[in-house]
Amino acid sequence: MRDVAIIGAGMIPFGRRDEDSLMDMLAYASLKALDDSGLGDKSVNAVYVGNMGAGIIQHQTSIASSLVDRLSLLPAAADVVENGPASGGSAVKNGLLAVASGYYDFVLVVGGEKMREVTGWRATDFVATMTHPQAEYPYGITLPGMGGMFTRLYMEKYGVTREHLLAVSLKNQEMGALNPYAHVEMTLDREGIFDSPDAIVNNPTAADPLHLYDLCPVSDGAAALVLCPLEMAKKLAKSPVLIAGFGQATDTHTLQEREDPTDLKAVTLAARQAFEMAKLKPGDIDVAELHDAFTILEIAESEHVGFFKKGEGGKAAAAGKTRFGGQIPINVSGGLKARGHPVGATGVAQIVDIVFQLRHELPKNRQVKNARHGLTVNFGGFGNNVTSFVLKRVEP
Amino acid sequence: MKKEIAITAFQCKKCGRIHYPYHDRCLDCKSREFEQIKPRGNARLLTYTVIYNLPWGFDQRFLIIGIAEFENKVKAMGQIKADSIDRLKLGMKVHPSWEPVRVQFGEDVYGLKFEPID
Repeated sequence: MRDVAIIGAGMIPFGRRDEDSLMDMLAYASLKALDDSGLGDKSVNAVYVGNMGAGIIQHQTSIASSLVDRLSLLPAAADVVENGPASGGSAVKNGLLAVASGYYDFVLVVGGEKMREVTGWRATDFVATMTHPQAEYPYGITLPGMGGMFTRLYMEKYGVTREHLLAVSLKNQEMGALNPYAHVEMTLDREGIFDSPDAIVNNPTAADPLHLYDLCPVSDGAAALVLCPLEMAKKLAKSPVLIAGFGQATDTHTLQEREDPTDLKAVTLAARQAFEMAKLKPGDIDVAELHDAFTILEIAESEHVGFFKKGEGGKAAAAGKTRFGGQIPINVSGGLKARGHPVGATGVAQIVDIVFQLRHELPKNRQVKNARHGLTVNFGGFGNNVTSFVLKRVEP
Repeated sequence: MKKEIAITAFQCKKCGRIHYPYHDRCLDCKSREFEQIKPRGNARLLTYTVIYNLPWGFDQRFLIIGIAEFENKVKAMGQIKADSIDRLKLGMKVHPSWEPVRVQFGEDVYGLKFEPID
C-alpha cells in the first residue's frame, strides 16, 4: 500500500445557491481543488462523487459521468458514491484506496448536494428516506427526531443539559461567522435563544429536547480534493497533507436494536481504526471536525473518539475546552451547525477544512497554532455508517 | 373494530435474541433460523420526542414519536397518542394499537400507536 496525500483542496461557499445547479457546484469546487493541486491541465485517472440525493431531488442520475464530461476529464473513470450523510467520507475512502492500491495515481474526489431546490417539507422527507422503510419511515420520523430521542437518552444517562448543548451551538456559530464558506455567518446571542422570555419564540422546540439552534441548516454546497501518492505529492505540491489514517464502521439500521442506543459504536470503531492506521492517539490531535448535525452529536462524538470520557463531553464544551484556543478545538470551521450540511458534501468539506488548518493558511482568528494532526468524523444515517480520517501535516 | 398488530418479530432459535425488523442472519450468532413472534401485552416507553418540522406527507402541526419495549421484549417505534409530551416519562407504560399512521397515495398506511397508561 502506498501512502496517499492530498495535493488539492477547494470548496465553494455553502448556503442557499439558487443561481447554481448541482452540476455547477460540483464543477466549481472541482476546479478549485484541481487549480490548487498544481496539476495544471493534466487530467486525473478517476473521479469519485459523493452525493446522496441527485436521483431524488434533481431527478438526475449518473452525475459522475456528467461531471467528467463537463470538466473535460474524459476518459477518467467516474463513479458516484452514496452513503447518506457520510457519502463524502465514503467518496474520499474510495479515492484513498484507489491510490493506495497503486491502481490510480491521480484522483479527484468531490462531494456535493443541492437541497434548497425543494421545500423544507420535501427536504426533510428526502433525508428521512435513510430510515428503515418499514420499522421507522412510515411513522414520520425525521433525522432531527432521531436526534431528539437520542438526546433524551443521553441526558438521562450522562446528565447532559441544554446548557451543554447551548455551548456547542454558540461556539460553532461564533466560528462560522468568521468562515467565508459558512452557510450561517452570524453569531448567536445567549440571552435571545436561551435566557430571555423571547427564547421560546426565537429558538423553538424542533425535536424535543432539541431546539432550532441545536440543528444544522439545510444547505447547498460542494467541496473537493485531489489525491495522489505521497512521493509524487512531495514533488508537486508546496504543502501536501498525508491521509495518515482511515476507518469506517457500521451499526444497526434502527436505533431500537442497539443494546445501548447511547453507544455510538460505529463512531468508536471508525475513529479507533483511523488512529491505529496513523499510529496516533486522541491526545495527538490538534484540531477536529466532528459531525454536529445536532449539537448533541458533537458532544457524543467527542467522547466516542476518545477526547473525553463518557459523560464528560458536555461539561468540556461548557468549560470551553473544545473552543478555538482550547484543549482540543472542535469545528473551528463552524461545523455542520454553521458551515452547513449539504449532505453529500460534508465529509469532503470536513477534510478540506482540516487541510487548510494543516497547511497553516487560515487567518489568525481561525488558525490553530502549529496544527500537525487533524481528525474528521462523518456520521451516516443515525450513526449506522461512519467514516473517520486522521490527517497529518507533511513538513516542507 | 380493533385491528391486530401486524408486526412480526424474529427470535433466533439458537441464541434467543429478538429482532425487529427482519434480518437474514442473527445479529449476535449469525444463525439463519428464527421463530416468528408477535409483540405481546403492553409496552414500556424507552424514549420519545415531539417533532415540529414534519416530512412531506404529514399535514399536521406536530408528531410525537417514541420507541417502546413490549412485555415479551420486542422493541418497536410508533406514534404516541398524546396532545403534548408533558405527561410522558421514560419507562412509563403504554398501550399499543394498530391504526393509520399516515396517508400515502390516497391510502391509509397502518402502523403502531402507543397510548400512555396513567
